[in-house]
Amino acid sequence: MALLVAILAMLATGKYLVRPRQHGAVTLVGDVRGVSAPDFALTSLDGRIVKLSDYRGKAILLNFWATWCSPCKVEMPWFVDLQKKYGGDGLVVLGIAMDDTETDKIAKFASEMGVNYPVLLGTDKVSEQYGNVEYLPTSFYIDREGKIVGKGTGLLGRAEIEENVQKALASHVVGINKADTSTPASAETTKTAVQ
Amino acid sequence: MRRVLLPLAVLLAAVAFAQEPGTRVPSVELAPVGNVQVKAGGSAAVQLDFRVGSEFHINSNKPHSELLIPTVLKLSPTNPVAVAGVKYPDGQDMSFPFAPDEKLSVYSGDFTIAAVIKAPANAPSGNFPVTGTLRFQACDRSACYPPRSIPVNFNVSVVGR
Repeated sequence: MALLVAILAMLATGKYLVRPRQHGAVTLVGDVRGVSAPDFALTSLDGRIVKLSDYRGKAILLNFWATWCSPCKVEMPWFVDLQKKYGGDGLVVLGIAMDDTETDKIAKFASEMGVNYPVLLGTDKVSEQYGNVEYLPTSFYIDREGKIVGKGTGLLGRAEIEENVQKALASHVVGINKADTSTPASAETTKTAVQ
Repeated sequence: MRRVLLPLAVLLAAVAFAQEPGTRVPSVELAPVGNVQVKAGGSAAVQLDFRVGSEFHINSNKPHSELLIPTVLKLSPTNPVAVAGVKYPDGQDMSFPFAPDEKLSVYSGDFTIAAVIKAPANAPSGNFPVTGTLRFQACDRSACYPPRSIPVNFNVSVVGR
């Protein structure tokens, strides 16, 4: 009976956040708000190795997309605008291209779309880290302390995306340094995020 | 008490998983293909009937953009049987909420791909399996899934002239 109650409680509250994997890493499932965004090291279109942790102290809009994904194309001009609008406040949009195609084609597409933010080449590993991202577009909104404050799957409206960006920007870390990065996100930040 | 809690747990589990977008898997299924008979030195047409799961669509064989991934049938017949041709249906030009001003060429619901199988004049009588895949890339009304492939298998019987 106790086990059944526990299962019911987990299902009702969505607290099945992090599932251990065989090789020791974790993947995100269910309600991920308040969970530390998994770090990664990916190659950018210009050949640099980019880590998520390079941007600690910034608010991140992490967008998984692909050139073959028509709904993803709809969001990209919005991301360009949001990067312009909030870049000065500390927003960084990071695109993760999940294409299985030549880098040149992705770069050409990004250029034609006027993308003004880093585009990284996705891998199975990063997809796994973020809960086996298969449904595109999928975006994670990460606050300045590296905690996920929201997730959007499928095409959202621009207003909803901007609202999530503002939530990610809302946490202010004063004098952040490496010792500060484990500071937990405020309860308010994690509660107000949207799925 | 148990009689109440168990159905409730099942219901809650169903709701919890239904609320998570991306947990649905787009399906494309091939209807059973009957035995295909072909005379040595002749050819025969085979209709491959596919069904796309409701709420999903896949790109046609000739999508309007080179960025989109076309639906492609690849067949590998057993020697000496050969595939003489594959004919894809035209796609339906449809608009979707994510791009209302754009027409995409898609298959949804049921569609049929026709293949022509031939056997050389000196082919021995017997059964020759044909294996293959249908590769497609599916989307629903707000998002897209990576390309997938499903197996396409049927049997060809070569009979004497």
